[in-house]
Amino acid sequence: MTGRPIIEIENLSHTYMKGTPMEHVALKGANLYAEEGECIAIIGHTGSGKSTLIQHFNGLMRPESGKVIIDGEDLSKKKVDLKTLRQKVGLVFQNPEDQIFEKLIGDDIAYGPFKLGLPIKEVRERVKWAMDVVGLDFEEIKDRQTFALSGGQKRKVALAGILALKPKILVLDEPTAGLDPKSRKELLDKIKRLNKDEKLTVVFVSHNMEEVAMLADRVYVMAGGTDVLTGTPKEIFTDKEKLQHHQIGTPETVQVLYKLTDLGYQVNTEAFSVLEAAEEIMKVLAGKKEGSEHVQRI
Amino acid sequence: MSSEFEISRSITIGQYVPTGSFIHRLDPRIKLLVFVILVVAIAFNTSYFGNAIGLVLSLYLFWASKIPISYGLSGVKPAIPFIVILAVLQLLFQGQLFSDGRVYVDYGFVLITSESIRLVVVSAVRFIEIIFLSSVLTLSTSTTELTHSIQSLLSPLKKIKFPVHEISLITTIAIRFVPTFAIEMEKMMKAQASRGADFGTGGWWRIVQRTKEMFPIIIPLFNIALSRAEDLILAMESRCYTPGGERSSYSVYKAIAKDYLVLLVGLFFSLLLLFYPFPF
Amino acid sequence: MEPIIRLENVSFSYKINEKTKVSVLKNISFSIFPGEYVAIIGHNGSGKSTLSKHLNGILTPDSGDVWVHGHNTKDVNKKRSIRQAVGTVFQHPDNQIVATIVEEDVAFGLENIGVPREEMKKRVDEALNVVKMSPFRHRPPHHLSGGQKQRVAIAGVLAMKPDCIVFDEATSMLDSFGRKEVLQVMRKMNNMGMTIITVTHHMSEAAEADRIIVIEGGQIVMDGPPREIFKHKLELENLQLEVPSVSQMAEVIHSQFNTFSKDIIQENEFIEEVEKFHKEEVGT
Repeated sequence: MTGRPIIEIENLSHTYMKGTPMEHVALKGANLYAEEGECIAIIGHTGSGKSTLIQHFNGLMRPESGKVIIDGEDLSKKKVDLKTLRQKVGLVFQNPEDQIFEKLIGDDIAYGPFKLGLPIKEVRERVKWAMDVVGLDFEEIKDRQTFALSGGQKRKVALAGILALKPKILVLDEPTAGLDPKSRKELLDKIKRLNKDEKLTVVFVSHNMEEVAMLADRVYVMAGGTDVLTGTPKEIFTDKEKLQHHQIGTPETVQVLYKLTDLGYQVNTEAFSVLEAAEEIMKVLAGKKEGSEHVQRI
Repeated sequence: MSSEFEISRSITIGQYVPTGSFIHRLDPRIKLLVFVILVVAIAFNTSYFGNAIGLVLSLYLFWASKIPISYGLSGVKPAIPFIVILAVLQLLFQGQLFSDGRVYVDYGFVLITSESIRLVVVSAVRFIEIIFLSSVLTLSTSTTELTHSIQSLLSPLKKIKFPVHEISLITTIAIRFVPTFAIEMEKMMKAQASRGADFGTGGWWRIVQRTKEMFPIIIPLFNIALSRAEDLILAMESRCYTPGGERSSYSVYKAIAKDYLVLLVGLFFSLLLLFYPFPF
Repeated sequence: MEPIIRLENVSFSYKINEKTKVSVLKNISFSIFPGEYVAIIGHNGSGKSTLSKHLNGILTPDSGDVWVHGHNTKDVNKKRSIRQAVGTVFQHPDNQIVATIVEEDVAFGLENIGVPREEMKKRVDEALNVVKMSPFRHRPPHHLSGGQKQRVAIAGVLAMKPDCIVFDEATSMLDSFGRKEVLQVMRKMNNMGMTIITVTHHMSEAAEADRIIVIEGGQIVMDGPPREIFKHKLELENLQLEVPSVSQMAEVIHSQFNTFSKDIIQENEFIEEVEKFHKEEVGT
């Protein structure tokens, strides 16, 4: 993290179908702030305004009231170069595999770069790079038919299609929804790598708390169209009352630790991984019986 | 400032506005029937007087349905350019066909007579009447009620082996999926725009380019529709659906005296508009 | 006891073109008995979904037989009674709702089997009650959340009064809340005596069941109560399946304190074990 702000959202509101009986307030004074290189998770109940919020990042929705500044550019002004903005902010929708439309995998990934008007050589380079990042072999896969892919692979292709734009900010809406555990783990590793090695700023929406705990530097909890809670995963997941109030689940491990604290055990609930949580519990169990310093990794 | 992609929310098909008015509570079959005969009657009436009655009647029905008038106007608004263009064309070119009455302009092929003016005015008003009437119908009747009414109005056709049940089921499913597809389409447009796609660049005359721009939307939507259809068939079959099989019906309507009264009044107005020789 | 569903040496393959066939199910046999709560687990492509489509005759085996209440699913004349006996709730909440209003959708299956209207009303009411969706009966389905839509789909199946309901990855598209809602309904129906078969790759869901069947490469590799199945942690991991976090935690603790049981599959069990262990420690 460089400390340089890259997403600054202040007091953002949006109402759908304003002035009709179908009026619906989606955002009400929402705030979000991200520094370059950060990994931010947005969590919240269905209908809390998460999707509306992230669509403001790349100008799919324009601020109705409030401020949206992306990489120094104020999006509330009249003239915004949307093309450059959308290149800079790669937005991956939920079930992105649906948007694949070309017959061949390579062509589909190349769609974005071509739309940017890049020369063919550069496009090729980018497609190769993007496929490499998501773990698809360029030579072997680029000329394969898109329809013959498995669900997990399709999602990788779709992600590569966005990465080929070489965005500075990667925004993902429920990136692992519907994937099996193996594909899920693979994809999370890729996202982590993009954030840590390629220094992309990552913002992702998720319902899976294990994922949030594993990936995010900071978490925003959305409810009723605004951000109600912000902090590191540790800070968020230890605020038990607030989480329950906003109907947000916690990782299963934390759930167990909570229950134990309720029963009067002195466990630290800031442990998410199975190993950490188990160690916490063992500390208590060891109690008087000293000598469980090193826990074997199994 | 709103988004350029807000399709799903501006779709008004099946936009039922429950106000609980007396129009809402009518037997939907009677409502549909009255609507049909009134529209037919209006379509055949060419007098100023008759259309004035029609206009007052349709505005009254709208008012009686307690739906905000802005809704009715929002139905008329998009039609205005169309009505104007049609009126201008009719005014300029229809004179030769309706050359009776006083001649106002006779210049080259342009002939404007009192009769052709009548045609222009009447068809514009007629249009507005029909828009208001259809708005009343669709805004005060749920899609379910509508499909059931269509089904029951078509049911006499069962005798000639017309697949009434199937047609009405297909209509229901089609209507059921309109909002779903609108959402899907909006999402797809946004997703492709995020990859740099632009829609509606290059004037409308560049048809090839504009068609090409739609591929990234249409192809995925088509795929989604197919897979949804496949799922839906499985789900329907699992729930014992057999095409052409005998089915019972969950919704049953019973018309009461009030409904028949409305039907009578509707009939009266229709016959009036169709057959009464209005003086002007 | 007579099984509700009995599979005998079922094999099935998808035809890709004239020459190539992909074998999906290989010689599968098992029985499902009344009142059971069975989870069928396996990773994507293991054949579990194809298997679930055999349970009410949507697909029929290439070789071998599936019997539902003694009727062969290949018997076209028995199709209706088989599908009445075994209902299915599918994965995608949007793609199984037919009507434009909740209660009409619940009635769809009943209309198909020609239930008289009075009876229909009663059954729709009951079914909506069980899934707690009665307040939504007049709503259009596209205004509902994913979990609510799935509950409507469940009500639609339930109204047919089946003996068994198959959940074909019915929770995979839902958020954690929707999933909880659906799991609660499944548990409730099983307590009411309904046979439940759930096809899933979520281990914590499978832990809810009384019996787990693990599918890999179109074959059954394990079949037994969750407690037995989750003992085979390594094998499950090799099959790309994860055992529930609490089981993993118990295992870690067991490796240090060998009196702490590692055969734990549910959260409350885990808590109880901690309490028990703690008391014993304090006692000594």
